[in-house]
Amino acid sequence: MRHLPDRSPTRRDALLLTSCVVLSGAALITPTSLTQSLANTLRATALRPVVWLQERAVEGRTSRSRFQALEAARDTLALGVLDRSALQQENDRLRRLLDVGPRLGMPFVGAEVLHQPVPTDGRTLLLSVGWEDGVRQYDIVLVPEGLLGVVAEVGPRSSIANTWAHPEFRVSGVTADGAVLGVVAPGASTLATDAILEFRGVAYRDTLDVGTVVVSAGLGDVYPRGIPIGQVIGIRQEQPGWERVYALRPLVNPGIVSHVLVARPARAPSPLIPGDSGGS
Amino acid sequence: MRERDGRLAVWGIMALLVALHFYVRPRLFAGRAAPDFLLVALLLYAMRTRPGAAAVAGWVVGVTVDVLGPARFGAGALAHTLVAWLASWGRSVFFADNVLVNAGFVAGGLWVRNMITLMASGSTSADLVTAATLWSPLQALSTAVTGTLVFILFRDLLAPRGDR
Repeated sequence: MRHLPDRSPTRRDALLLTSCVVLSGAALITPTSLTQSLANTLRATALRPVVWLQERAVEGRTSRSRFQALEAARDTLALGVLDRSALQQENDRLRRLLDVGPRLGMPFVGAEVLHQPVPTDGRTLLLSVGWEDGVRQYDIVLVPEGLLGVVAEVGPRSSIANTWAHPEFRVSGVTADGAVLGVVAPGASTLATDAILEFRGVAYRDTLDVGTVVVSAGLGDVYPRGIPIGQVIGIRQEQPGWERVYALRPLVNPGIVSHVLVARPARAPSPLIPGDSGGS
Repeated sequence: MRERDGRLAVWGIMALLVALHFYVRPRLFAGRAAPDFLLVALLLYAMRTRPGAAAVAGWVVGVTVDVLGPARFGAGALAHTLVAWLASWGRSVFFADNVLVNAGFVAGGLWVRNMITLMASGSTSADLVTAATLWSPLQALSTAVTGTLVFILFRDLLAPRGDR
Protein backbone atom coordinates (compact mmCIF):
# COMPACT_ATOMS: atom_id res chain seq x y z
CA MET A 1 0.00 0.00 0.00
CA ARG A 2 1.21 3.45 -0.79
CA HIS A 3 1.09 6.33 1.61
CA LEU A 4 -1.06 9.35 0.92
CA PRO A 5 -1.66 12.28 3.22
CA ASP A 6 -4.92 12.01 5.18
CA ARG A 7 -7.71 13.31 2.98
CA SER A 8 -10.75 12.58 5.08
CA PRO A 9 -13.17 15.51 4.75
CA THR A 10 -12.73 18.39 7.17
CA ARG A 11 -15.23 21.10 8.11
CA ARG A 12 -13.76 23.35 5.41
CA ASP A 13 -14.29 20.64 2.78
CA ALA A 14 -17.88 20.18 3.91
CA LEU A 15 -18.43 23.93 3.72
CA LEU A 16 -17.07 24.09 0.16
CA LEU A 17 -19.22 21.13 -0.91
CA THR A 18 -22.33 22.69 0.64
CA SER A 19 -21.62 26.02 -1.05
CA CYS A 20 -21.25 24.37 -4.46
CA VAL A 21 -24.40 22.29 -4.01
CA VAL A 22 -26.39 25.35 -2.86
CA LEU A 23 -25.14 27.39 -5.84
CA SER A 24 -26.09 24.56 -8.22
CA GLY A 25 -29.50 24.24 -6.60
CA ALA A 26 -30.02 27.99 -6.87
CA ALA A 27 -29.15 27.82 -10.57
CA LEU A 28 -31.72 25.04 -11.02
CA ILE A 29 -34.54 27.10 -9.56
CA THR A 30 -33.53 30.43 -11.11
CA PRO A 31 -35.78 31.51 -14.01
CA THR A 32 -34.51 30.24 -17.36
CA SER A 33 -34.33 33.75 -18.85
CA LEU A 34 -31.74 34.75 -16.24
CA THR A 35 -29.63 31.61 -16.49
CA GLN A 36 -29.69 31.71 -20.29
CA SER A 37 -28.46 35.30 -20.41
CA LEU A 38 -25.69 34.33 -17.98
CA ALA A 39 -24.82 31.33 -20.18
CA ASN A 40 -24.77 33.57 -23.27
CA THR A 41 -22.40 35.99 -21.56
CA LEU A 42 -20.06 33.20 -20.48
CA ARG A 43 -20.10 31.63 -23.97
CA ALA A 44 -19.21 34.97 -25.53
CA THR A 45 -16.45 35.80 -23.05
CA ALA A 46 -14.72 33.26 -20.80
CA LEU A 47 -15.61 30.22 -22.88
CA ARG A 48 -15.19 31.86 -26.28
CA PRO A 49 -11.78 30.16 -26.85
CA VAL A 50 -13.16 26.65 -26.30
CA VAL A 51 -16.22 27.31 -28.49
CA TRP A 52 -13.88 28.64 -31.19
CA LEU A 53 -11.65 25.57 -30.84
CA GLN A 54 -14.60 23.20 -31.16
CA GLU A 55 -15.94 25.10 -34.18
CA ARG A 56 -12.59 24.65 -35.97
CA ALA A 57 -12.57 20.96 -35.07
CA VAL A 58 -16.10 20.37 -36.39
CA GLU A 59 -15.33 22.30 -39.58
CA GLY A 60 -12.21 20.19 -40.07
CA ARG A 61 -14.15 16.99 -39.58
CA THR A 62 -16.88 18.10 -41.96
CA SER A 63 -14.45 19.14 -44.66
CA ARG A 64 -12.62 15.82 -44.52
CA SER A 65 -15.02 13.00 -43.87
CA ARG A 66 -18.18 14.44 -45.35
CA PHE A 67 -16.83 15.94 -48.53
CA GLN A 68 -18.04 13.10 -50.76
CA ALA A 69 -21.48 13.05 -49.13
CA LEU A 70 -21.81 16.80 -49.63
CA GLU A 71 -20.71 16.51 -53.24
CA ALA A 72 -23.37 13.86 -53.86
CA ALA A 73 -26.00 16.01 -52.15
CA ARG A 74 -24.97 19.01 -54.27
CA ASP A 75 -25.31 16.94 -57.48
CA THR A 76 -28.78 15.81 -56.44
CA LEU A 77 -29.76 19.38 -55.69
CA ALA A 78 -28.38 20.56 -59.03
CA LEU A 79 -30.64 18.07 -60.80
CA GLY A 80 -33.58 19.24 -58.72
CA VAL A 81 -32.88 22.86 -59.56
CA LEU A 82 -32.95 22.05 -63.29
CA ASP A 83 -36.51 20.75 -62.92
CA ARG A 84 -37.44 23.60 -60.64
CA SER A 85 -36.68 26.43 -63.05
CA ALA A 86 -39.53 25.40 -65.38
CA LEU A 87 -41.90 25.10 -62.40
CA GLN A 88 -40.73 28.45 -61.10
CA GLN A 89 -41.49 30.15 -64.41
CA GLU A 90 -44.92 28.55 -64.55
CA ASN A 91 -45.62 29.55 -60.95
CA ASP A 92 -44.52 33.15 -61.59
CA ARG A 93 -46.77 33.33 -64.68
CA LEU A 94 -49.79 32.00 -62.74
CA ARG A 95 -49.15 34.43 -59.88
CA ARG A 96 -49.07 37.32 -62.34
CA LEU A 97 -52.29 36.11 -63.93
CA LEU A 98 -53.98 35.92 -60.51
CA ASP A 99 -52.40 39.19 -59.40
CA VAL A 100 -50.69 37.49 -56.47
CA GLY A 101 -47.40 38.90 -55.16
CA PRO A 102 -44.14 36.94 -55.35
CA ARG A 103 -43.62 34.18 -52.84
CA LEU A 104 -41.59 35.31 -49.84
CA GLY A 105 -38.18 33.70 -49.53
CA MET A 106 -36.69 32.15 -46.42
CA PRO A 107 -33.19 33.50 -45.69
CA PHE A 108 -30.88 31.07 -43.93
CA VAL A 109 -27.37 30.62 -42.58
CA GLY A 110 -25.42 27.39 -42.32
CA ALA A 111 -24.24 26.32 -38.87
CA GLU A 112 -22.10 23.62 -37.33
CA VAL A 113 -23.53 21.63 -34.43
CA LEU A 114 -21.13 21.54 -31.48
CA HIS A 115 -22.10 18.32 -29.70
CA GLN A 116 -21.25 17.90 -26.02
CA PRO A 117 -20.60 14.51 -24.37
CA VAL A 118 -23.43 14.89 -21.85
CA PRO A 119 -26.60 12.79 -21.71
CA THR A 120 -28.86 15.74 -22.49
CA ASP A 121 -27.09 16.47 -25.79
CA GLY A 122 -29.66 16.01 -28.53
CA ARG A 123 -32.39 17.69 -26.53
CA THR A 124 -30.62 21.03 -26.84
CA LEU A 125 -27.81 21.69 -29.30
CA LEU A 126 -25.11 24.36 -29.35
CA LEU A 127 -24.88 25.99 -32.80
CA SER A 128 -21.90 27.92 -34.14
CA VAL A 129 -23.89 30.98 -35.26
CA GLY A 130 -25.43 33.84 -33.29
CA TRP A 131 -27.02 37.24 -33.73
CA GLU A 132 -23.88 38.59 -35.39
CA ASP A 133 -24.65 36.09 -38.19
CA GLY A 134 -28.28 37.21 -38.38
CA VAL A 135 -29.79 34.48 -36.21
CA ARG A 136 -32.75 35.42 -34.02
CA GLN A 137 -34.82 33.64 -31.37
CA TYR A 138 -37.48 31.31 -32.88
CA ASP A 139 -35.60 30.89 -36.15
CA ILE A 140 -36.11 27.33 -37.31
CA VAL A 141 -33.37 24.72 -37.56
CA LEU A 142 -33.47 22.42 -40.58
CA VAL A 143 -31.50 19.68 -42.27
CA PRO A 144 -32.19 18.35 -45.77
CA GLU A 145 -34.31 15.52 -44.32
CA GLY A 146 -36.63 17.83 -42.41
CA LEU A 147 -37.25 19.80 -39.23
CA LEU A 148 -34.76 19.54 -36.36
CA GLY A 149 -36.00 22.24 -33.98
CA VAL A 150 -36.08 25.92 -33.15
CA VAL A 151 -33.56 28.46 -31.86
CA ALA A 152 -34.29 29.02 -28.19
CA GLU A 153 -31.50 31.37 -27.16
CA VAL A 154 -29.11 33.52 -29.16
CA GLY A 155 -25.69 34.86 -28.21
CA PRO A 156 -23.35 37.00 -30.31
CA ARG A 157 -21.51 34.07 -31.97
CA SER A 158 -23.41 31.00 -30.82
CA SER A 159 -26.95 29.91 -30.09
CA ILE A 160 -28.91 27.14 -28.41
CA ALA A 161 -31.53 25.18 -30.34
CA ASN A 162 -34.28 23.09 -28.78
CA THR A 163 -34.74 19.98 -30.90
CA TRP A 164 -37.88 17.87 -31.36
CA ALA A 165 -36.64 15.76 -28.41
CA HIS A 166 -37.05 18.70 -26.02
CA PRO A 167 -40.07 18.19 -23.73
CA GLU A 168 -41.40 21.66 -24.64
CA PHE A 169 -41.25 21.12 -28.41
CA ARG A 170 -44.61 21.50 -30.21
CA VAL A 171 -45.44 22.11 -33.86
CA SER A 172 -48.74 22.08 -35.67
CA GLY A 173 -48.61 19.28 -38.22
CA VAL A 174 -50.57 18.18 -41.23
CA THR A 175 -50.36 15.16 -43.49
CA ALA A 176 -48.52 15.81 -46.75
CA ASP A 177 -51.84 15.80 -48.67
CA GLY A 178 -53.22 18.45 -46.31
CA ALA A 179 -56.14 16.30 -45.16
CA VAL A 180 -55.48 15.72 -41.46
CA LEU A 181 -54.35 18.27 -38.90
CA GLY A 182 -52.85 17.71 -35.45
CA VAL A 183 -50.10 18.73 -33.06
CA VAL A 184 -46.68 17.05 -33.07
CA ALA A 185 -44.90 16.62 -29.73
CA PRO A 186 -42.18 14.36 -28.31
CA GLY A 187 -43.48 10.95 -27.25
CA ALA A 188 -44.34 10.73 -23.57
CA SER A 189 -43.32 7.11 -23.32
CA THR A 190 -41.96 5.05 -20.47
CA LEU A 191 -40.35 2.57 -22.87
CA ALA A 192 -36.65 3.08 -23.32
CA THR A 193 -36.68 2.18 -27.00
CA ASP A 194 -39.31 4.74 -27.98
CA ALA A 195 -37.48 7.87 -29.18
CA ILE A 196 -40.45 8.96 -31.22
CA LEU A 197 -42.84 11.81 -31.84
CA GLU A 198 -46.59 11.82 -31.30
CA PHE A 199 -49.15 13.26 -33.72
CA ARG A 200 -51.86 14.31 -31.28
CA GLY A 201 -55.38 15.58 -31.60
CA VAL A 202 -56.27 13.68 -34.77
CA ALA A 203 -60.05 13.40 -35.11
CA TYR A 204 -61.28 9.85 -34.55
CA ARG A 205 -62.94 9.76 -37.97
CA ASP A 206 -59.56 10.33 -39.70
CA THR A 207 -57.36 7.33 -40.30
CA LEU A 208 -53.70 7.54 -41.28
CA ASP A 209 -51.81 4.78 -43.06
CA VAL A 210 -48.40 3.65 -41.89
CA GLY A 211 -45.77 5.56 -43.85
CA THR A 212 -47.79 8.77 -44.20
CA VAL A 213 -45.47 11.78 -44.00
CA VAL A 214 -46.46 14.58 -41.61
CA VAL A 215 -45.22 18.10 -42.39
CA SER A 216 -45.50 21.40 -40.55
CA ALA A 217 -48.91 23.02 -41.03
CA GLY A 218 -47.75 26.62 -40.94
CA LEU A 219 -50.03 27.58 -38.04
CA GLY A 220 -48.62 29.53 -35.14
CA ASP A 221 -46.20 31.87 -36.89
CA VAL A 222 -43.00 29.97 -36.01
CA TYR A 223 -42.76 27.07 -38.46
CA PRO A 224 -43.67 27.64 -42.12
CA ARG A 225 -45.85 25.11 -43.91
CA GLY A 226 -44.44 22.06 -45.61
CA ILE A 227 -41.33 21.08 -43.63
CA PRO A 228 -41.20 17.29 -43.20
CA ILE A 229 -41.33 16.22 -39.53
CA GLY A 230 -41.93 12.48 -39.35
CA GLN A 231 -43.54 9.38 -40.75
CA VAL A 232 -46.50 7.54 -39.23
CA ILE A 233 -45.52 4.16 -37.77
CA GLY A 234 -48.76 3.26 -36.02
CA ILE A 235 -51.47 4.22 -33.56
CA ARG A 236 -50.12 5.22 -30.18
CA GLN A 237 -53.41 5.49 -28.28
CA GLU A 238 -57.02 6.29 -28.97
CA GLN A 239 -60.06 7.58 -27.19
CA PRO A 240 -62.96 5.89 -28.98
CA GLY A 241 -65.24 8.41 -30.64
CA TRP A 242 -62.97 11.31 -29.85
CA GLU A 243 -59.33 11.28 -30.99
CA ARG A 244 -56.35 9.16 -31.99
CA VAL A 245 -52.69 9.76 -31.21
CA TYR A 246 -50.33 8.43 -33.89
CA ALA A 247 -46.67 7.54 -33.39
CA LEU A 248 -44.26 9.24 -35.78
CA ARG A 249 -40.72 8.21 -36.59
CA PRO A 250 -38.75 11.48 -36.72
CA LEU A 251 -36.94 12.12 -39.99
CA VAL A 252 -33.94 13.71 -38.28
CA ASN A 253 -31.68 12.28 -35.59
CA PRO A 254 -30.45 15.16 -33.37
CA GLY A 255 -27.69 12.99 -31.88
CA ILE A 256 -25.65 12.67 -35.07
CA VAL A 257 -26.50 15.74 -37.13
CA SER A 258 -23.40 17.87 -37.70
CA HIS A 259 -24.43 20.66 -40.09
CA VAL A 260 -27.77 22.51 -40.08
CA LEU A 261 -29.53 25.42 -41.73
CA VAL A 262 -30.93 28.15 -39.50
CA ALA A 263 -33.77 29.79 -41.43
CA ARG A 264 -36.07 32.69 -40.73
CA PRO A 265 -39.49 32.27 -42.30
CA ALA A 266 -41.47 35.37 -43.25
CA ARG A 267 -43.73 36.19 -40.34
CA ALA A 268 -46.70 38.43 -39.91
CA PRO A 269 -45.84 41.57 -37.95
CA SER A 270 -46.80 41.32 -34.30
CA PRO A 271 -49.93 43.33 -33.45
CA LEU A 272 -48.29 44.12 -30.10
CA ILE A 273 -45.59 46.25 -31.70
CA PRO A 274 -46.72 49.89 -31.97
CA GLY A 275 -46.89 51.03 -35.56
CA ASP A 276 -47.33 47.48 -36.93
CA SER A 277 -50.95 47.19 -35.89
CA GLY A 278 -52.46 48.77 -38.87
CA GLY A 279 -52.68 52.15 -40.43
CA SER A 280 -54.23 53.60 -43.48
CA MET B 1 11.31 22.46 -6.73
CA ARG B 2 10.56 18.82 -7.57
CA GLU B 3 7.02 19.17 -6.22
CA ARG B 4 6.53 22.31 -8.31
CA ASP B 5 7.65 20.46 -11.46
CA GLY B 6 5.21 17.67 -10.63
CA ARG B 7 2.34 20.14 -10.28
CA LEU B 8 3.26 21.79 -13.57
CA ALA B 9 3.29 18.40 -15.26
CA VAL B 10 -0.19 17.57 -13.91
CA TRP B 11 -1.53 20.93 -15.08
CA GLY B 12 0.08 20.26 -18.46
CA ILE B 13 -1.71 16.91 -18.70
CA MET B 14 -5.00 18.61 -17.81
CA ALA B 15 -4.47 21.27 -20.47
CA LEU B 16 -3.81 18.45 -22.93
CA LEU B 17 -7.07 16.75 -21.91
CA VAL B 18 -9.02 20.01 -22.33
CA ALA B 19 -7.52 20.42 -25.82
CA LEU B 20 -8.41 16.81 -26.62
CA HIS B 21 -11.96 17.44 -25.39
CA PHE B 22 -12.63 20.51 -27.49
CA TYR B 23 -10.49 19.84 -30.55
CA VAL B 24 -9.75 16.15 -31.03
CA ARG B 25 -13.03 14.62 -29.76
CA PRO B 26 -15.28 16.55 -32.19
CA ARG B 27 -12.98 15.52 -35.07
CA LEU B 28 -12.74 11.83 -34.23
CA PHE B 29 -15.80 10.82 -32.27
CA ALA B 30 -19.48 11.32 -32.87
CA GLY B 31 -22.49 10.13 -30.94
CA ARG B 32 -23.46 9.71 -27.34
CA ALA B 33 -20.77 7.15 -26.51
CA ALA B 34 -17.89 9.56 -27.22
CA PRO B 35 -15.33 9.71 -24.39
CA ASP B 36 -15.51 12.67 -22.04
CA PHE B 37 -11.95 13.99 -21.67
CA LEU B 38 -13.11 16.81 -19.41
CA LEU B 39 -14.42 14.33 -16.86
CA VAL B 40 -11.13 12.40 -17.00
CA ALA B 41 -9.28 15.65 -16.24
CA LEU B 42 -11.67 16.43 -13.39
CA LEU B 43 -11.35 12.98 -11.82
CA LEU B 44 -7.60 13.08 -12.25
CA TYR B 45 -7.53 16.31 -10.29
CA ALA B 46 -10.11 15.15 -7.75
CA MET B 47 -8.19 11.97 -6.95
CA ARG B 48 -5.08 14.02 -6.16
CA THR B 49 -6.63 16.73 -4.02
CA ARG B 50 -8.82 17.35 -0.97
CA PRO B 51 -12.60 16.81 -1.26
CA GLY B 52 -13.39 20.52 -0.86
CA ALA B 53 -11.09 21.61 -3.67
CA ALA B 54 -12.40 18.72 -5.78
CA ALA B 55 -15.98 19.92 -5.22
CA VAL B 56 -15.07 23.45 -6.34
CA ALA B 57 -13.28 22.11 -9.44
CA GLY B 58 -16.33 19.93 -10.17
CA TRP B 59 -18.62 22.94 -9.89
CA VAL B 60 -16.47 24.95 -12.33
CA VAL B 61 -16.41 22.08 -14.85
CA GLY B 62 -20.15 21.58 -14.37
CA VAL B 63 -20.94 25.23 -15.04
CA THR B 64 -18.82 24.99 -18.20
CA VAL B 65 -20.84 21.96 -19.32
CA ASP B 66 -24.11 23.76 -18.50
CA VAL B 67 -23.08 26.80 -20.50
CA LEU B 68 -22.21 24.73 -23.56
CA GLY B 69 -25.25 22.44 -23.51
CA PRO B 70 -27.85 23.67 -21.11
CA ALA B 71 -30.68 21.17 -20.87
CA ARG B 72 -31.24 22.78 -17.49
CA PHE B 73 -28.73 25.21 -16.06
CA GLY B 74 -27.34 23.91 -12.77
CA ALA B 75 -27.84 20.20 -13.45
CA GLY B 76 -24.31 19.71 -14.75
CA ALA B 77 -22.84 21.81 -11.94
CA LEU B 78 -24.60 19.71 -9.30
CA ALA B 79 -23.62 16.42 -10.95
CA HIS B 80 -19.95 17.30 -11.42
CA THR B 81 -19.67 18.72 -7.88
CA LEU B 82 -20.99 15.52 -6.32
CA VAL B 83 -18.94 13.22 -8.57
CA ALA B 84 -15.69 15.13 -7.91
CA TRP B 85 -16.35 15.08 -4.16
CA LEU B 86 -17.11 11.36 -4.23
CA ALA B 87 -13.99 10.65 -6.31
CA SER B 88 -11.75 12.51 -3.89
CA TRP B 89 -13.35 10.96 -0.82
CA GLY B 90 -13.57 7.53 -2.42
CA ARG B 91 -9.93 7.60 -3.36
CA SER B 92 -8.97 8.11 0.28
CA VAL B 93 -11.17 5.17 1.31
CA PHE B 94 -10.47 2.69 -1.49
CA PHE B 95 -6.90 3.76 -2.09
CA ALA B 96 -4.88 1.67 -4.52
CA ASP B 97 -2.82 3.02 -7.36
CA ASN B 98 -4.05 0.40 -9.74
CA VAL B 99 -5.00 0.80 -13.38
CA LEU B 100 -8.25 -1.13 -12.92
CA VAL B 101 -9.24 0.89 -9.85
CA ASN B 102 -8.62 4.13 -11.74
CA ALA B 103 -10.62 2.85 -14.73
CA GLY B 104 -13.43 1.88 -12.36
CA PHE B 105 -13.41 5.34 -10.80
CA VAL B 106 -13.68 6.97 -14.22
CA ALA B 107 -16.42 4.64 -15.49
CA GLY B 108 -18.42 4.85 -12.26
CA GLY B 109 -17.98 8.61 -12.09
CA LEU B 110 -19.28 9.10 -15.60
CA TRP B 111 -22.30 6.86 -15.05
CA VAL B 112 -23.21 8.64 -11.79
CA ARG B 113 -22.64 12.05 -13.45
CA ASN B 114 -25.00 11.16 -16.29
CA MET B 115 -27.70 9.88 -13.94
CA ILE B 116 -27.58 12.96 -11.69
CA THR B 117 -27.59 15.26 -14.72
CA LEU B 118 -30.64 13.56 -16.20
CA MET B 119 -32.55 13.48 -12.93
CA ALA B 120 -31.76 17.12 -12.12
CA SER B 121 -32.76 18.25 -15.62
CA GLY B 122 -36.21 16.69 -15.39
CA SER B 123 -35.78 13.87 -17.88
CA THR B 124 -38.47 11.33 -18.59
CA SER B 125 -38.21 7.80 -17.25
CA ALA B 126 -37.58 6.62 -20.83
CA ASP B 127 -34.52 8.86 -21.10
CA LEU B 128 -33.28 7.65 -17.72
CA VAL B 129 -33.67 3.98 -18.57
CA THR B 130 -32.00 4.40 -21.97
CA ALA B 131 -29.13 6.35 -20.47
CA ALA B 132 -28.70 3.99 -17.51
CA THR B 133 -28.67 0.80 -19.55
CA LEU B 134 -27.28 1.76 -22.94
CA TRP B 135 -25.59 5.09 -23.57
CA SER B 136 -24.01 5.73 -20.17
CA PRO B 137 -22.37 2.29 -19.93
CA LEU B 138 -21.01 2.70 -23.46
CA GLN B 139 -19.72 6.19 -22.74
CA ALA B 140 -18.35 5.01 -19.38
CA LEU B 141 -16.43 2.28 -21.21
CA SER B 142 -14.95 4.63 -23.82
CA THR B 143 -14.07 7.21 -21.15
CA ALA B 144 -12.53 4.56 -18.88
CA VAL B 145 -10.35 3.34 -21.77
CA THR B 146 -9.27 6.93 -22.41
CA GLY B 147 -8.57 7.49 -18.71
CA THR B 148 -6.58 4.25 -18.50
CA LEU B 149 -4.44 5.29 -21.46
CA VAL B 150 -3.76 8.64 -19.77
CA PHE B 151 -2.86 6.92 -16.48
CA ILE B 152 -0.54 4.49 -18.25
CA LEU B 153 1.14 7.09 -20.47
CA PHE B 154 1.73 9.55 -17.62
CA ARG B 155 2.02 7.08 -14.77
CA ASP B 156 5.24 8.56 -13.38
CA LEU B 157 3.92 12.10 -13.44
CA LEU B 158 0.57 11.15 -11.91
CA ALA B 159 1.92 8.92 -9.13
CA PRO B 160 1.28 10.09 -5.55
CA ARG B 161 3.94 12.54 -4.44
CA GLY B 162 5.61 10.16 -2.00
CA ASP B 163 6.24 7.65 -4.79
CA ARG B 164 7.96 9.87 -7.30
